[in-house]
This record gives sequence, structure tokens and C-alpha cells, in this order.
Amino acid sequence: MNLFNKLQRIDPRIIYALMFVALSFPLLSPLGIPLSVSSMTRAMYERIEALDPATDVVLLSFGYSPAAAADIHPQAVAVVDHLTKRGIRWVGVSFWAEGPMMIEQITSVLEARGGRYGTDFANLGFKAGAENAIAAFANNPLVITTDFVGNRTAELPIMQGITHIRDFGYVIEFASGDPGIPAWIRQVVDPMGVRMSAGAVTVSVPQFVPFVQSGQLDGLLAGLRGAAEYELLLQAPGRALAMMDAQSMGHLLIIAFILIGNAAYLVTKFTKKD
Amino acid sequence: MRREIPILITLIVGLVFLLGPITSGNIPLLDMQFRDLVSRHLSPWTTIIAAFALGLASVNLLRIHGNVISRQRSGWIYSVVLVVAMLFFGITRTMVELSPANRELAAFYNNFFNFLYNPLSGAMFALLAFYIASAAYRAFRLRSLEASVLLVAAVIVMLGAAPIGALIWDYFPALQTWLLRVPNLAGQRAIIIGAALGGFATSLRILLGLERGHLGGE
Repeated sequence: MNLFNKLQRIDPRIIYALMFVALSFPLLSPLGIPLSVSSMTRAMYERIEALDPATDVVLLSFGYSPAAAADIHPQAVAVVDHLTKRGIRWVGVSFWAEGPMMIEQITSVLEARGGRYGTDFANLGFKAGAENAIAAFANNPLVITTDFVGNRTAELPIMQGITHIRDFGYVIEFASGDPGIPAWIRQVVDPMGVRMSAGAVTVSVPQFVPFVQSGQLDGLLAGLRGAAEYELLLQAPGRALAMMDAQSMGHLLIIAFILIGNAAYLVTKFTKKD
Repeated sequence: MRREIPILITLIVGLVFLLGPITSGNIPLLDMQFRDLVSRHLSPWTTIIAAFALGLASVNLLRIHGNVISRQRSGWIYSVVLVVAMLFFGITRTMVELSPANRELAAFYNNFFNFLYNPLSGAMFALLAFYIASAAYRAFRLRSLEASVLLVAAVIVMLGAAPIGALIWDYFPALQTWLLRVPNLAGQRAIIIGAALGGFATSLRILLGLERGHLGGE
């Protein structure tokens, strides 16, 4: 088998090993590759900047599990960081079973820093029923009678005066699947005229771009890069920015292998023709 | 009547849900609007049914894997791990929910979730990166015009999405944005509209009893 045939059939273990090196090296020794901010991220940032800390309570919906957390949890952390810096109160809810634990990872850190659970933020937990549950919650958020830690939702200071989803100042959904962004647009954005932004896993971003273009979503964070861009706007570099170099190297390696494979394929193809 | 009654229930409940967002008058005899009937009386049932479905799934898993364990079929050790993990997380979390004031128990559960389940789930998802690298290398070949277009688009999107793309060529990010906002948007819109029309047609068939797959049976 000549060299070009071998290059078309590289052992996958070599690819895995090189991918491991390409991803881990920048994490240990950051390269500092500059990053630009997309208009979709900036739109979401500016929407939050326009909120009034005195009156607005933001609803954050955590529609992901630990499997997608590496791609999307940094978005939630960055957005909560923004809300906290601006003194804007927020309420977390989830229609995914593992969602409340993802919220709890954030609230426990805020509480350790002096944040007041129930006043500055709250975790309403999980409501079963997928899209129906979203609709039920939107019509009456107090349909979740107890929060994640057992408090009566109606007695939480942060929930005073909130009887409909329109009473929230803004809605942000972090979604990795179903129920996700389309469900929120069908049940909340379009019928109720609620403004919303979203964060999505990278692979899902292309299917949600139409909602940004139509105005149904104000902004959209695109996976880990979206989180990194948001950290850049906040001028608070974090995990997402640190992982961008690794993503760059990973992409570069995949493209290199694709080019090698295709070069070998074309040479073999034209050699056979001759 | 065994099939007619469920079909009738489907039609009536489906109509109530359909009429909720598009009507405003009161239902005669009930003195409430359709939307209130849905939100106050029907919606809670969907939550209850969904919760029972989760419970049913758990019971089914226990039954299937219990069978594998009792007959010691191939891979029964993994069934033991699954059952033990499911019971551990299920029972612990139930105890936390029943005693919300017990912070130590909540911390105990949180540690197992954050330091065991979380990293394991993330690791499974992370494996995709390696499989995608290998699959992309083998699949993205210039075999035809369509494959070539796919390859070029994939390379542009990957380089446009990663920060290094802008370092290689200034226009990669702009090309990626154009690809997402023009051809991708057109294609996605077509898919969304097509799926919505298909969903509407299927829903209509279910409401009218023409589609009976959800009823199960013979």
C-alpha cells in the first residue's frame, strides 16, 4: 500500500491521540488568540444592559443537562455574572429534570459570595410536562408551588407581584434540546408578546438563526464561543475564553486531517486514471 | 367502544386546547373561557401524566435490567451498576425532597451529582469530539459536486467559528456569518415550515381519529 493509500486510512487512534494533544495543550499553555464579538451576542448583552435593576426580574430557563453543560453552562454563568453586576434579580426554572441542579451550581456560588436566596435570586426547580409545562408556567408562574429547596414560591420576596410571565422583565432560555427554544417561541413569545433571548449548543445554532432574523429572539449565544464573547463584553475572562484556544486547535486539526485525506484521495484517483 | 371512547376523548380535549388561544367568550354552562379551562383544569393533568411517565420509565428500566441481572445475561454487571445508580440517586433525592431542611443530606446528594454524574455525563458528550474528528476525516471527501460543496461549507464554518480563522484570513468570520444567515436560513425556514405543516396535518389526523398509533393495542 503506497503512502497516499495509507494517508486515506489513518488509524483512528492516531487521530484521537493528536486531538487529545491539540485540545489539552492550549488549556495548559494559553495562546491568547483574539476573539471578535458577534452581533447576536451583542444584542443580548445590550438588551440586559437596558433592564432596570429597581423593577425588572429576569427569568432564566435552564433547558440542559450535564451532558451539554460544557458547551452551555458557561453561557449561564456569564449571563448571571452580568445580572449580578447590574444588581438585577433573577429567577431560575427548568423543564428538564437535571436543570435545577445546574441552577443550584450557580446559586450556591452566589450564596457563598453573600447573595440572598429568595430575594436576589431563586431556583424554582423542575416542572414536568415539557411544552405544556412551559405554557402552564407562563400563564401562572405560581403553578410551581414550592421552589427547589422547599420554600413556598408565593412567599418568596422575589416572586411578589409576579402572576404572569409578562411580569418578568425579560426571559432567557438556555437550551440543548426539546423542550427548548421553539417551544418557548410557540407558547410564550408569539402568543404572549414576551421578549426573549436564548443560548444554544453550537450544533443547534443554525436552526435558531431564523428566529433571530425574524425578531422572535433578540439575541442568541452560540455555544462556548457565545459564552466567551459574553465574557469579553463583560471584561471578565473566564472558563469559556480560556477554552477558545483549545477549540481553535481542535478545529484546525480536523481541517488538517480533512485536507490530508482529500489530497491523498485526489492523488490516488488521478494516479489510477493514468 | 374500546377504540371509539379514546378517540372521542382525544377529539374533545384536543378541541379544547385548540380553542383556548383563539376564543374569548365564556363556554355555556361552565361560565369560563376555554383558555381558563385549559390552564386551570387540563394543564395540571398534563404535568401529572408527564410525571407518571417518568415513573413508568423508571419502573420499566428496573424490570428490564432486573431481568438481565436475574438471568445473568451478557453484560449483566452493567445492569447492576445502572440499577444501583438509579436507586441511589432516586432514593437520595426523594429523601432530600421530603426533608428540605436537612442541609447535610442535600450537600451529600449535590456532591454525588456535581462530582460523579456531572463529569461522567460531560465526558460522554466530550467523546463526540474525537468521533467527529475521525468521521470528518473519513467522510469529507471530494467524491461529487454535492460532497465538495458540503466540504467547503464545513471548512468555512469551522474556521469562521473558531477564533483562529480570523487570524488565517480576515474574511472567514464574514463568510461564516453569510453562510448561516443566507443559505442556512433559507433551508432552515423551509424545514421549519414543512415540519409545522406536517405536524398540523398529523395532529388533525389524530384529532379526527384517522391516526391511531398512539392508542396502542392490536
